[in-house]
Amino acid sequence: MPDMRFAPPNPIRIADRASGMNAVSVRSYNERLVLSLLLQNKGLSRMEIGNRTGLSAQTVSVIVRSLEQEGLVIKGEAVKGRMGPPTIPLSLNPEGAYSVGISLGHRHTDVVMIDFVGQVKFYTSLPLPDDSDPTNHSKLVATVQKALAALPTKQEGRMAGIGIAMPEDEEELALGPTGMGERFEAIGKEIEEALGIEVYVQNDITAAAAGESMFGAAKSLDDYLFFYIGARLHHRLVLNHQIFQSRAQVSKPVGLIDLEKRLKSVGMSGDVLWERGTAWPDFGKDTTRWLQDCVAELKASLESASQFLPVSTVIVSSYAPREVCEEITDTLKSACQGVDARPGELQPSPKALGAASLPFSSKFTVET
Amino acid sequence: MKTVLCFGDSNTHGQVPGGTPLDRFGPDVRWPGVLRKELTPDWFIIEEGLSGRTTVHKDPIEGDIKSGRLYLRPCLMSHAPLDLVILMLGTNDLKARFNQPASEVAMGIGCLIHDIRELNPGPKGHCPEILVVAPPPMLDDIGEWEGIFSGAQPKSHQLAHEFEVIADSLEVHFFDAGTVITSDSADGFHLCEDAHAALGKAIAQEVINIGWAD
Repeated sequence: MPDMRFAPPNPIRIADRASGMNAVSVRSYNERLVLSLLLQNKGLSRMEIGNRTGLSAQTVSVIVRSLEQEGLVIKGEAVKGRMGPPTIPLSLNPEGAYSVGISLGHRHTDVVMIDFVGQVKFYTSLPLPDDSDPTNHSKLVATVQKALAALPTKQEGRMAGIGIAMPEDEEELALGPTGMGERFEAIGKEIEEALGIEVYVQNDITAAAAGESMFGAAKSLDDYLFFYIGARLHHRLVLNHQIFQSRAQVSKPVGLIDLEKRLKSVGMSGDVLWERGTAWPDFGKDTTRWLQDCVAELKASLESASQFLPVSTVIVSSYAPREVCEEITDTLKSACQGVDARPGELQPSPKALGAASLPFSSKFTVET
Repeated sequence: MKTVLCFGDSNTHGQVPGGTPLDRFGPDVRWPGVLRKELTPDWFIIEEGLSGRTTVHKDPIEGDIKSGRLYLRPCLMSHAPLDLVILMLGTNDLKARFNQPASEVAMGIGCLIHDIRELNPGPKGHCPEILVVAPPPMLDDIGEWEGIFSGAQPKSHQLAHEFEVIADSLEVHFFDAGTVITSDSADGFHLCEDAHAALGKAIAQEVINIGWAD
């Protein structure tokens, strides 16, 4: 039997690094473990990385060195310890990777470009093209190109991919023009062909929850209930970072459509509800009632879930103004003892940011 | 207190550039001494630098004793238990008499790593941490050493990459000394006082970066 100790060396990381990020075809499980940990926490020492991943000091050393050379991880300012030279904290390099996220909606399509730590570098919202438009979504490809152009030229090779948050809720799809669902389905392939960049598609609500887990309010949470207030109210269960959705696309009617109806019934316009980043005027008691109904729905879901599962944290996400989400979470907290409710932190478009997190999780994390 | 063994050649011994093995920098000047100052009082530093030491080659001219492999085992046993072994070798393997490419020198380093792992001279019979340090490249002008080291200079520039490949394959710590110091112009491959100071500090940081439970 040959002594394999003296076979030619088989470096699994160093050999690939000269060819850049995208050429790393198979990123090892251990590298993904380290990157996942750094997505959740910044400023960890190599020892902390070892303790929290269970990897040996030498394995961490090799992985961190190659991630540094790839530009995915950077050293921070040294931190003075109790004795001896200071330790050096490690974090993801914000400029190490970028991603584009697209959220398709029945009124708007949101496009974002984010960096490796979730900072928004480009954002725009497009109206849905009307039925007479002969192409699928004429402005979308050009807009994605604009988002890609927002990338500094030096970092062109660092685009991890394009994520699409795909609406699948029948009731919401019915709000758009006929055939909208089919048109949306075709967009991923079109973009991939036009731009030659990998496209990742995920259910829109699941994508929004994934975004909160990676960059937002749920960063430090293993288990939580996720609610998304769009046209309708949606929910997902997250257990040990896994996002569960039931087979049936169940959504509740107490969303913004419902609020708009209530406003119309008393002669007010609900147009502002569909705008991004615009504060709502004081709608008076109609919002209050809607809000109470909404909280009652959240409370009911939470109560039924907690009969079976150890969830006591709730994230309420929406592109609606943060104050609205805060009011909902505050009301929910005072209605349910021992429940921690927090508004989502992804702005201005939680679904588009969630979509942008998809290429990162596919390429760099242990979650699938 | 933790113990580190600095296993190297004349540059670990502290030989003065342009001098002989008997011209040695003082205990606080050579890099293991700088390391001691940086890591005190947590670490005990053992200096094992020998002029002319190779990774695994018995030197037909200078003698078998110049083989790092031959001396490493008794050396590890003498100083065990060790928490960390630093290997900084490779330049002498580039002497014309050995006729080795840089990749073979790296294989020699790999061989020493295997020997350490076979012996497990760490606390409680575990393997110590291992840090491979690639020596800085030689200068083009090495004066009267040109004959002995004929053809070594370009290979010396490849050592860091080849050592890193081995360190990666065998999963050990790695540091490229060429990122912080250069060889001294007096003979083109030894280190001056400032280089020892910079190297000692950089290695101390690498030692800390490994992370040690109290």
